[in-house]
Formats: sequence, C-alpha cells, structure tokens
Amino acid sequence: MIELKHISKWYQVGGKPTFILKDINLTIKEGEFVSIMGPSGSGKSTLLHILGMLDDANEGEYHFMDQPVHSLKEKQRSQIYKQHVGFVFQAYHLIDELTVYENIETPLIYQNIKTNERKAMVADMIDRFNIVGKKDLFPTQLSGGQQQLVGIARALIAKPKLLLADEPTGNLNSKQGEEIMDLFKQLNKEGVTIIQVTHSEKNAGYGSHIINLLDGRIEKTN
Amino acid sequence: MLKHYLKIAFRNLAQQKVLSGINIFGLSVGIACFSLFLLYAVHEFSYDRFHTKADRIYRIVEWWEGGEREPGGYAWAYTPVAPAMKRDFPDVEYAIRLKGSDCIVKAADKVFRTSITYADTAFFHVFTFPLIYGNTNTALQQPNQLVITQEKALQYFGTANVVGKTLELKTDSAFVPFTISGVTENIPANSSVKFNLLGSFEHIANDPMVQQSNMNWYMTIGMQAFVQLKPGSRLASEQNRINLFRRKYYPDDYKPKKNPTKEDLIQTSFRLQPIRDIHMNPTIEGGNDPKNIWILITIAGAVLLIACINFTTLAIGRSAGRAKEIGVRKVIGSQRKQLISQFLAESFLLSVLSAATGLMLGSLLLPLFNQLADRKLSFSFSRFPELIWLLIGLIVLVGFLAGSYPALVLSAFKPIEVLKKKVRVGGSNLFTRSLVTLQFVLSIGLIISTVIILQQIAFMRTKNIGLNKENLVMINTEHIGNKRIYPLYKQAIENNAGILGVTASEMGLGAGEGLMGAGYRDFKGELKGVIEYPGDYNYLNTMGMSLIAGRYFNPALASDTTGAVIVNEALVQELLGTTPEKALGTQLLNAKGNRGTKTIIGVARNFNFEDLKQKVRPQFYYRPSAFQPSRIFVRLQAGDPGSKLALLNKTWKKLVPDAPFEYSFVDEKFDNFYKNETRWSNIAGWAGGISIFLACLGLFGLAALAAVNRTKEIGIRKVLGATVTHVAGLLSKDFVKLITVAFAIATPLAWYMMHYWLQAYAWRINITWQVFALTGAFAILLAVATVSVQAIKAAIANPVKALRNE
Repeated sequence: MIELKHISKWYQVGGKPTFILKDINLTIKEGEFVSIMGPSGSGKSTLLHILGMLDDANEGEYHFMDQPVHSLKEKQRSQIYKQHVGFVFQAYHLIDELTVYENIETPLIYQNIKTNERKAMVADMIDRFNIVGKKDLFPTQLSGGQQQLVGIARALIAKPKLLLADEPTGNLNSKQGEEIMDLFKQLNKEGVTIIQVTHSEKNAGYGSHIINLLDGRIEKTN
Repeated sequence: MLKHYLKIAFRNLAQQKVLSGINIFGLSVGIACFSLFLLYAVHEFSYDRFHTKADRIYRIVEWWEGGEREPGGYAWAYTPVAPAMKRDFPDVEYAIRLKGSDCIVKAADKVFRTSITYADTAFFHVFTFPLIYGNTNTALQQPNQLVITQEKALQYFGTANVVGKTLELKTDSAFVPFTISGVTENIPANSSVKFNLLGSFEHIANDPMVQQSNMNWYMTIGMQAFVQLKPGSRLASEQNRINLFRRKYYPDDYKPKKNPTKEDLIQTSFRLQPIRDIHMNPTIEGGNDPKNIWILITIAGAVLLIACINFTTLAIGRSAGRAKEIGVRKVIGSQRKQLISQFLAESFLLSVLSAATGLMLGSLLLPLFNQLADRKLSFSFSRFPELIWLLIGLIVLVGFLAGSYPALVLSAFKPIEVLKKKVRVGGSNLFTRSLVTLQFVLSIGLIISTVIILQQIAFMRTKNIGLNKENLVMINTEHIGNKRIYPLYKQAIENNAGILGVTASEMGLGAGEGLMGAGYRDFKGELKGVIEYPGDYNYLNTMGMSLIAGRYFNPALASDTTGAVIVNEALVQELLGTTPEKALGTQLLNAKGNRGTKTIIGVARNFNFEDLKQKVRPQFYYRPSAFQPSRIFVRLQAGDPGSKLALLNKTWKKLVPDAPFEYSFVDEKFDNFYKNETRWSNIAGWAGGISIFLACLGLFGLAALAAVNRTKEIGIRKVLGATVTHVAGLLSKDFVKLITVAFAIATPLAWYMMHYWLQAYAWRINITWQVFALTGAFAILLAVATVSVQAIKAAIANPVKALRNE
C-alpha cells in the first residue's frame, strides 16, 4: 500500500542542510498497524506528515496505492488524500466554533457529499462511538478523551483506508488512552491500515510492527 | 456548503463581539454615506426622465463657437424661432415657449409674491405633469386660465381642489382675475421645467416687450423653447437642416464681412438639446458639471474604503486566532479555494448585515443630507429602480474589497506549520500598515481641506468689499408702481429714529440678482463689457462706498440725470488706462465708437458686487432721468433690527396694502454667494469627521489585537520590571509612526489640491503652515488616545496570568 524509497528531508540552517529524515526506505502493506517510535526530534512526526501528504520530502519516491505521490500535482494529491487518509492529532484539533456533529460532518462537506447521505453517515458514526448525547455540544464542553473520540470519528467519517495518528493518547490519562488504543485495534481488525506515532512502549504494543527512528534514520524494524 | 460557511460566519461574529461591532458599525456608516451620495448621483442623472415622451423632447439652444471663445451654448430662445420651427419642419410635432416672471397674486384676500410661467397651449401634450383636477386638453386654452401646483393651491386656498376658483394677478395698476383650470401634482424634484403657476402664452402675447421681441429675431426676453419631434424623426442629429433653417431667418449672419472683428469670428447655430441632457451638460448655460458628482462619489468612496480597510486589517490582525481552524480544515480535506470561499462568505455576510443597518442609518440621516446637499431626495425604489442594482453591486463590492485580501492570506497558511504553532501571524505586515496609513492619509487630507475651505469662506464673508453691507435692508418693489412708492415710502420712514439712510436702485445686490451692462470701447478701440448700475442720487453714500476722485451726484444739477456717471477704479484702469484724477471729465466711448452721452464726474473705490471668485469688473453708476427703482435700500442703526423692521413693515402695509412686504438683509444676500462653498465645506467636514472616526475605530480594534498578540511579550517585560507607561508607549509607538507617515503624505497632497481649488478665487487666503500643524497634531493626539485605551488595559493586566496562558 505504501512504499517509501530513499526519502530524505532537510532544512537549510546557516547554509548547511540539517537532515530530519535521511534515506528512509519503508514498505507498509494494507491492513497493518504500525507504530513509529523514537526520541524527540528523531523525525517521527515529519515522517507521519510525509506519509499523510501534508508535507513534501526533499528527495525520494513515495508510492501510495501504486500512485507516485512525489510526482503528482497538488490537486491530484489532495484528491487521493481526501479519499483515503484520515488524521488524528495529539491536541485533537477540533474546530472550536463547530459542534461535535458539525466537526464530524465537515470532511464530507469538502468531498461534496449530498446532505441526506451526509446525515446518514454522521448519524452512523455518532451511534458507533456512543456520543449521541454529545452531538450538539461544542468541543470545549467535552473531556479530553471525548474530544479525541470525536477527532477519530471525524478522521474515519470518510471511510479512509489509512488512519494516521500523531500521539493520539498523549494528552489523555491512562484509562482514556487504553480505550482509544482498543478502538484502534478494533478498527485495524475491520481493515483500516493504521500508522501511529507514539512514545509509549505499551501503546506501540498494540500494533503489528514497530519502526524505531533515531536522528532521521530507521534504526530497526520489528 | 454555503449554509455551513454562513453558520461558521455567524458564530464567529457572535464570538468576537467587539470586532464584529467595529466592523458592522464601520461598514454601516460607510455604506450609509455612500448610499446617500449614490442616491444623490442617481437623482442628478435622472433629471427629466419622467416625461413619457422624454426621448422626443428637445430644448432649442444657441451654440457659439469659434474666435477666441470656448464653445458653449445658451438656453435663451428668440420669441419667433420656436413657431418658425414648427412651421418649417414637418417632423416638429409641437413647439412650446416658456416665459417665466415674477408676480404678485391675490387669493382670497391674501397677497403673495411668486413666480409664474407662461407656456404655449400644447404644454401638457409635451410634458408629463399629471393634473389632479382639471383637463390637460383644455387647461391652457383661454388666456385668462391658470394651472396651479398642488403645493401652491394648498398654500393659497388651504385645499387642493381649486378648479374654477379665481386668482388675481397684479399688474402695475390693478389686479386681473384668472380662473384656475387645473391643479398639477407637485413638480418632481428632478424636473428642469419647474413652475408654481402656469399661464397661457396668449396672455402675454400683447405685452409690448413680447410683441417687440416677436419682430426682432435678435432680442432675448428670458424665454426658453422646447420642441417635440414626431416618432422616428432624426432632426436633432441632422444639423444641416437646422443650419439651413437658421440661414433662412438670419441671412445677415452669413454675409461675408470685410474686416471681421473678433466677435465676427464666432459662429452661431441653433441646436436641439435632448431634455434629459439639460441638467448635466455643463457646456450649455445653467447645466451642472458631472465632475462635481464624481468628486462627491469619490469622497463617499473614500469613506467606504476606510471602513473596508478596517475589516481587512482587523481580519488579518485576528488571523492568529483563526490559524488553527484553517490548519484543521486543510488537514481534513479542504482545498484552498474552498477556504477562500468560506472567508469571502463571511465578508459577504458582514456586508449584507452592514448594508441593512447602513440603509436604515442612511434613511435616518437623509433629512440632514438633504439639508447639506440642498435637495429633496427620498429612497424611492420605484422612482429609481436602478438603485436596487447599484446597492446589490455595492454589497458585492464591499464584500469583495473587504474580504479578498484576508481570504487570500489566511487560506495560504500551511497546515503543518500552523498546527505546530510555527507561524505567529502578528497583526501588522507591510500591507496592513500601508492600509492603516492610507486611512489616515484620506482622513487627514479631508480635514485639512475642510479647514482651508472654511477659512476661505470666512475670509470672503468678512472681507471689506468696498461697501458697508451690515445693517442694510433691501426691499423688493417690483410690480408695485415703482415710481410712486419709493418717494412716498422714503419720506415716511426717513426721519424715524434708527433709520440712517434710504436710497433705491433699479437693480438688486447680492446672490440671485441680475446685472445689466453694455459694451464700450477702451482707449485702444477694443470692445469691453461694462456693468451699468442705475441708482438714486444718494445711492453711493448710503451704501457706504467712497470716492477717490470727483464728486457724488447732485440732485440740483439737471445734467446729472442725463449724462453724468461715477465709474469704478477698474473702469479707469481697463478702459481709460489713466489715473482717477485724469479720468474726471472724460466721456465714455460707446460700442459704435461715439462719444458724448456719458461724462465721468467721479471715481469710486472698487466694490465687489459679484462674488469674490470674480475680479471687480468695470462698472459705472448713473441716475436715470425716468427712475424706476425695483429695490429700496434702508440703512439701519446697528443693534437689534426688530423694532426698525416692524416700522418698515407697518409703513409698507399702510402705503402698499395690496403687495407683500418683502425684504432681505444685504449681508445675507452676499453670504448666499458662498452657498456652494458652504455646502462643500459641510460635505468635506462630515466626510472628514466620519472618516477619522472610522479610522480610529479600526485603530482601536488593531490596538486590541496587538495587545492580545503580544500578551506574552508584555507579560515578560512586566516581570522584568517595565512600568505601565513603558508598556503603553511600546504599543502606541508603532501606530504613532504610521500616522506620522500618513500626515507626511497627506500634507503635500492636500496642499496641492487646495492650492488648485483656491485658484478659482480672485480673492483668496494664503495657505498657512498652522493649518497643517494643527490638523496633524489633532490626528496624532486622537490616535494616541485611541490606542492608549487598549495599551493601558494590556499594561495593567497581571503578568502571571499572561504567562500562564502561554
């Protein structure tokens, strides 16, 4: 599903390139649940952003479902992205001005899905996540765990094949964290490919693979 | 999608109450201003459109071109021309002559002075002035019929249905009864043809002057003429046919001249001017210059622009607060153009809300505006259907103008950077700084202009014009046995306490009064215009004019009524090219080059009988032997004029019971010369006041945002020991800099514009640096005060709180 070949990313600092990612080669198959680990500054988030097409590599090839992402135009890339990728953040990043219902609905609006269909899809998702009673609340009225649930619901609403999560439990207590990870496991069983960045060995254990990054390189995969 | 955008927009508005308030209020004021000026412009361009046959109605004008003359036309019509056109051109359906004059009428024992217009019978076939009562086919058939407007009917009779009632018109000796045959709806404000009373041309056809003018194809008696062409006629553009017509009746004009003078080079022709062109064609006498309207629209546009800039700068200033939303939206699949649409939707929503409140505000301000603009406008969509489209256009324009830059900037944020908080979008990039500067350039410029216009008006009002215009009352004695009344009246009031002098003349003084003149040869033989002023013996001394050579008129000398003139300095200089002393005893050369009828007995100091735009033209005073004064001048003692006016009125009622006592103060008549200037200063003043208010409003919002965006910095500084003054200074400094720059830009611009404007005045003030210094200081003080409110608020906040927030 995903194939990275010789991906590098650097910034120019004082005329010299400082590498964030260096010569990353990686293959992820559909249905896998991969955890990316590593110390701060090892390039985990950048790798995730490149995988999520939010950021470009300076060098290398990225194939997503047999499409050469690195050579696609912005428009085509955003098309693939909209259809196949969902994102979950550590800080949830819900839109404060929108209700729970509207937050979940928004991605569908950007995919020009008709109102009736949208209603049905959002209603299903809200049912499934057991947040029917919360649908008219605003994000600030929810606990962190609930906010992250909404964030995941929003990421899943467009039925993506790939779910990317950047420290999804980082702001949650351990019980809430466990619930989220159980949910991820469940989703993975249903066929969603998941890549998460995490600091926690325990959370990484939920996945099928762990990729360890150090100073922009893959140290080991298991 | 749109619903979604609007929802977000509403919630944003509700959340940011202060900013939304500033935006909506500012834009409303801008739109209110602009829509009022728009209404004014639409009104000005809508003149005479209401006539159902407007596209076939033309005014006959005389066009002068050639020689050293600017091409231009006059709306006067020679009495026989219009009927001749009807006779000669088969495609002229009707020809209408209109002759207006002043009259005294008696209705139910009350007397009024009003204007009356005499028209040819087909008047109502050509012009669309619906009758409320009466029949348009018969209304002007008899010479003693009158049509009256509803307004005047109500004034004179207290009721509108006055058909069949009698209205008496005063002639020199008696009142002549007329029957009212029709009542028209009030004349629309946007009509070039206006009347209070409409009589039949037949009635004045036997008047000696009209008869004389009917024989003389060169004599004008203040008449206008219109023709209505048959459908399909192209006569108005077939100038050849019109030229042939003129050649037929003015054969002398087309004979070659042996020694053509400058005047002979001027070619005269008749033209047909479309009626809808009358009000807005400055090349024909009496037409307005559309340039002025564009200036007004530009000023209103500047006010609107300032309000739009507020929206833009505040939106940019608040971008930090919205960065997260934008980042998230991009991550969950929004394209840039969708974000642009979202932000534009917000500004359009704001624009619509502001337009709604702005129009309400506009209708509230309409009476004030009407006073300023000297018009009677109303927001009538049925009368001005184009107003709807213009307003929709305005809403779209405002939405776009205000929203497009923030939409472009905000939608360009990179999601990753925003979400990682890498971009800290401050409140002020170069662009917003320039916009704020522009706002203050416009407002400071308008205020400087206002001050200079006001100074010039004050100068013109108080300048010694060579005549003592204070405490001088002018009484109108037209149509009331002039010869008889003046000596009687003079005798009756002359010796009363508080009356310092009484004199009379055949001409009025000040704005709205006519001038008479004739051509005389100067010492080089060139023809020059000279204003002739017929007054009583004591005219000059009573008016407070002084002589620099010679003597005043002497009633004891018979020759003083036959050929003696007192000339002004300008005449001595321009026509005689000599000194006042040497001019005495000189005889003036008339246009034919003959001497002998007018001998100079005195030279008077120049007196500005026209407004101060004009230089003093050559002028002389004389005492006609058959003196028919139309104005009596009474010089009062300084102080409360009440009792003296009561005396004048009482005496008048006794001597002239059948005519209204009509007086005016001469200083007011002179002030009226500057009505236009006063209007412009009012308009510029209001616009300047509103625009600086809006600019400060924006500044207030920006300062608030700057304080928010710099909360952390302020907190750290305070922890390090900064005082409140220090912090307030820190926040104000940036803005003061901008306003100083604005002042530096506005000063030369305003100076140049006002210098140009002042060139139109022969007498004008010098622009002093104090005006600029004071205006600049005022603007900077105002801005500092505005910013300080926010700066101090930020500075006294607890720093620990600020730091914890981060």
